[in-house]
Amino acid sequence: MHDMAAFGGGSGDLTVDIAGLTRVEGEGSLRLRVRDGAVEEAHLEIFEAPRYFEQLVVGRTPDEVIDIVARICGICPVAYQMTAVHAFEHGLGIQVEPGIRALRRLLYCGEWIESHALHVYLLHLPDFMGYASALELAQDHRSAVEAGLTLKKAGNRIVELIGGRAIHPVSVRVGGFSRAFRRGELTALQPLLVEALEIALKTVDLVAGLQPPDFHRDARLVALRHPDEYPMNEGRIVSTDGLDIAATDWRTEFHESQVTWSHALQSRDLADRPYLLGPASRLTLAADTLHPLAAAALARTGLADEIRTNPYRSIVARAIEIVDATAEAIDIIEAHQPPDRAATPWRPGPASAAWATEAPRGLIFHAYELDERGLVRTAQIVPPTSQNQAGIEADLTSFAPRVLDLPKDQATLRIEQLIRSYDPCISCATHFLRLDVEDAG
Amino acid sequence: MRTVVHAGPKPERAARPRRGRTVAVEVLVCGSRDRGDDGAPIAASQLLDGSLPSDVAVRIVGMLDVDDLLSIPPGAGVVIVDAATGIDRGVIVDLPLGGLIGRAEGIHPRSSHALTLPEVVGLADMMRGRPLRGRIVAIGGSHFGLGESFSRPVAGALHELSAAILDAVGRVRPSTDPGGGG
Repeated sequence: MHDMAAFGGGSGDLTVDIAGLTRVEGEGSLRLRVRDGAVEEAHLEIFEAPRYFEQLVVGRTPDEVIDIVARICGICPVAYQMTAVHAFEHGLGIQVEPGIRALRRLLYCGEWIESHALHVYLLHLPDFMGYASALELAQDHRSAVEAGLTLKKAGNRIVELIGGRAIHPVSVRVGGFSRAFRRGELTALQPLLVEALEIALKTVDLVAGLQPPDFHRDARLVALRHPDEYPMNEGRIVSTDGLDIAATDWRTEFHESQVTWSHALQSRDLADRPYLLGPASRLTLAADTLHPLAAAALARTGLADEIRTNPYRSIVARAIEIVDATAEAIDIIEAHQPPDRAATPWRPGPASAAWATEAPRGLIFHAYELDERGLVRTAQIVPPTSQNQAGIEADLTSFAPRVLDLPKDQATLRIEQLIRSYDPCISCATHFLRLDVEDAG
Repeated sequence: MRTVVHAGPKPERAARPRRGRTVAVEVLVCGSRDRGDDGAPIAASQLLDGSLPSDVAVRIVGMLDVDDLLSIPPGAGVVIVDAATGIDRGVIVDLPLGGLIGRAEGIHPRSSHALTLPEVVGLADMMRGRPLRGRIVAIGGSHFGLGESFSRPVAGALHELSAAILDAVGRVRPSTDPGGGG
């Protein structure tokens, strides 16, 4: 709901205050000021209450941490679990069986499908189709919303089965899972996934035909890249300007800082430059590792270059990734051989643990220090939305002068649509503010 | 909107779905136990055990999803229980689902972030082909940060919330509410 949307000034001036951004996960606002054609202020304000998860996990065991961090977000809990479990396993030198590795990738596929379907059909598509909400869209385009809900259900079912439940999954453990999965349990998902794949391919055609605003910029894009597979759980951190570091080394290139207008920390590189994560970054940096069906779908669109430069094309990138995740989920299930054991045994001990994976919204980084008893001594959790925040503000600064001549409702729509292009998950972004930061404020 | 003023009965045992029986009403409980006042619906639902009719099922859904409403059996009604902002702390409101869209301005249920509750309900109605018979019972909260403790007004209203759920179930059950629960 727009609690307030005000515009003022003459030519070259624009003031936008959107007190409650809609169709984003969580609570945030936008404060934008343009004077004489120049942006004076472009603040994506995140005011949802901070939640202190980094403190909560201190003194906990790695398995407890995996369950706790899943509760940071109801939409992308798997991303938190996967990043934490890989960090601990890497830090403790635990090797998991190939079958476990595949099941974890399947679990992540479920979250990508679910999250992307929600965003494409129910959050972002209404912008492009000229509707104020998914409900209005559904009144005229029921089949589109049904398609989105079917896709979402397919993702939900995967997470529900492998994760133990659809929201805040509980089955992931250091070394594997809390139980083994029978082949029949997995193959029962296939009919829904086959239907979802068909819908996903049509979704690409639908969103590729949408007309985005003509806005191009050359942003620094960052993502994981793996030589053999589209990035999810493993890979190196790479960028469009040549960065190439291990997934454990995020802190050697990036840092977090506090800004006065947000409860979320912002991330920049060590030269204080903003950067952007997410589906468009992944496609730009790793399209050659897409599933063949997704690669073909991307080629059909002819939009690979535009996805890199125009943030409004992120809806196409998400649709391509739904194809990729659905097709891969089907492949994983077809090839599934139950592992010998549900989890590799391991012993607690001291470790420095760090890892990065690819959440639906982009790269997520965790780092933990474990003490002699194997309990967490310190934790750092860096979600994608907080990393994207500075980049979104930079894009707003570039884009806002372009809408000065538009009627106010269209200008507002374009600006909100730009923010929604990054699918910000504000609840995630606020989970990590440190106690001392709040005390200082 | 109806404001619940008086506390009702105080059931002693936890409510459970009755398996294998025809479900007349599903109570969908939203929220998260570890997020302060957001856990109030779960705590209140646990006070219901023993006081619900055998054809009433209670399901903790966390975040309300369209799928949750699409899975309500044909002919059954629904009571959604959620914490909300936009209402004074500890105050309980009971709204008909049918009147939710356009009437709940200012009340923001906590469990549906990306889509608003009217959108979730509206989409489910559209997909089902007819409006769901049901009500939403919401309690105003203010403390949604990490932790299992409730704000004082919410803690003091848990039994009222439990009674309001029971009351809403009675309104939605077909035998007692032929008008469709609003």
